Amino acid sequence: MREGRQGLLAELERRGVTRREFIRFCGAMAAALGLPGGASAQIAGALRTAPKPTLVWLEFQDCAGNTESFLRASRPTVANLILDTISVDYHETIMAAPGTQAEEALARVVAESRGQYLAVVEGSIPLADGGVYCCIAGRTALDIAKRVCGGAAATIAVGTCATHGGIPGAAPNPTGAVGVGEAVPGLRNLINLTACPMNVENLTALIVYYLTFKQWPPLDAERRPLFAHGKLLHDACERRAHFNAGEFAEAWGDEGHCNGYCLFKMGCKGPVTFYNCPTIRWNEGTSWPVQCGHGCIGCAEPRFWDRMTPFYGHLPLTPGIGADIDRVGLAATGLVAAGFAVHGVTSYVKRAAERELPAEKSVPPPDRKGNGP
Amino acid sequence: MRPLRPIERSTELARVYVWEWPVRVAHWVIVGAILVLSATGYVVAHPPGRWAPLGTVKAVHSYAAIALTLAFASRVAWMFIGNRWAQWDQLLPVRRERWRGLGPTLEWYLFVLRKPPGYVGHNPLAGAIYTLVFLIELLMITTGFAMYSVSAPYWSPMHAFGFLGPLLGGLQTARWLHHAGMWLLLGFMVHHVYSAVLMSQVEANATMESIFSGYKFVPEEDVVSPRVRRATPPSP
Repeated sequence: MREGRQGLLAELERRGVTRREFIRFCGAMAAALGLPGGASAQIAGALRTAPKPTLVWLEFQDCAGNTESFLRASRPTVANLILDTISVDYHETIMAAPGTQAEEALARVVAESRGQYLAVVEGSIPLADGGVYCCIAGRTALDIAKRVCGGAAATIAVGTCATHGGIPGAAPNPTGAVGVGEAVPGLRNLINLTACPMNVENLTALIVYYLTFKQWPPLDAERRPLFAHGKLLHDACERRAHFNAGEFAEAWGDEGHCNGYCLFKMGCKGPVTFYNCPTIRWNEGTSWPVQCGHGCIGCAEPRFWDRMTPFYGHLPLTPGIGADIDRVGLAATGLVAAGFAVHGVTSYVKRAAERELPAEKSVPPPDRKGNGP
Repeated sequence: MRPLRPIERSTELARVYVWEWPVRVAHWVIVGAILVLSATGYVVAHPPGRWAPLGTVKAVHSYAAIALTLAFASRVAWMFIGNRWAQWDQLLPVRRERWRGLGPTLEWYLFVLRKPPGYVGHNPLAGAIYTLVFLIELLMITTGFAMYSVSAPYWSPMHAFGFLGPLLGGLQTARWLHHAGMWLLLGFMVHHVYSAVLMSQVEANATMESIFSGYKFVPEEDVVSPRVRRATPPSP
């Protein structure tokens, strides 16, 4: 699999990829990374001579959705050469080697390429009950992650399960599922590519950045690369102008929905989600959820299954009550007002009753307005 | 309703300058800002249609938020440079006499005491509630900054507050807190206006007027030290 480390260009030529195609790919990567125009030449120059990165792909508590995304890399002739055909030495779902052979391949990479290979992790790692809920070849996911990610040049957690626990980690989280960063603290160069699934364009761009600049791109507080997660989805959305103008879909299939108005009132989580979904899109830039007419569910945000639900509501439900906070708030304010109204009447009646009592003989002095009794 | 007779005066009333102008200005800016912010905030969360373009509504919300933040900051600063009734220890009941004054004031509200304990500035119970109000306002500013910072213009120094979002549990959680805080402030407003009117009637010391003029008319003995008027109801 790893024969001939003579750079990508030779591999590309052997596969019949034209120069034009290669340059177009470099331009697309520069755009995805938010780099200036000249960067595509730098990327092309670097990729020409770049050694092939060795990559192992671990799957834990996952649905293989990120693998699906991975296999559908657009511009596949070039991207596959970088991500798939050349360099993937271990990937449960797509590798030919079975069982013992497969595990030997993984062990060989960990032993021989220590500190040089890239570990991609898909799926969450269960910590409850000693990690028994996810075992591969007799080892727990935690054990494998410690061994493989610990010796990697970098660990790329793909998908929200691997980054923050995702759906297995949603309440009540019976398996104690967490992301790689929490399961194996202190990993060198951990990069989180969130979303459910992650967009392979971002994975390709991330690796291209690494090959070009020999370092990893700037990350946010969640260790997500800023080129993919630095901007609010809402601010890059093509329906944003409708939001600003007060034009909304009020029900599925209504006139506003047919006109492509903003999906904010249908519970779209674009205003609270950081992702480049609107610019990078899916299936070779064909479309993305909001363009299809469905609101964003905030899948790129940590613990989105707990925090972003209900997906078709604007806000999380009020804990302990389960209703919309604005209804609860209005009712509570009404109750407060009613309570004070009762207090006011009681107070007035009590003071009026005291006033009627003839006990106080002394005439109080008039107040400052001269209103004597 | 016939006007009810105020508390009997045993001593002369003193005209006291209680609320200095920074306190009054901050108070009214905060009132105005909260009303504008609540109205525009509700419209943003429940957009009514084209007549309320959210781009404009959000801009108004942001300007009102700036006003609230500045008024809040100036009032907090004044807690350390203002007069004795503006000081921070009038809010946080950390001093013994303020802590002990909480009970009698609550008793008066619950009709146990016939007359409210006499305080020139805030009574201890009101002060403690205002401490919570300041904290809620701080929560609103924090969550608001967290949500604003992420889509601020690229040159904006507000990006410095981008770190707040993850600390608050993500922007969706910040949103919920922002709504909950609004209702707490509106609920407080109902209580505050009612209590001010009630106190103004019972004490007849120009409580209501004082937030415009700054002056209260209080028994001279209250200026020296607050007291609990434990008068028993007169027997027939």
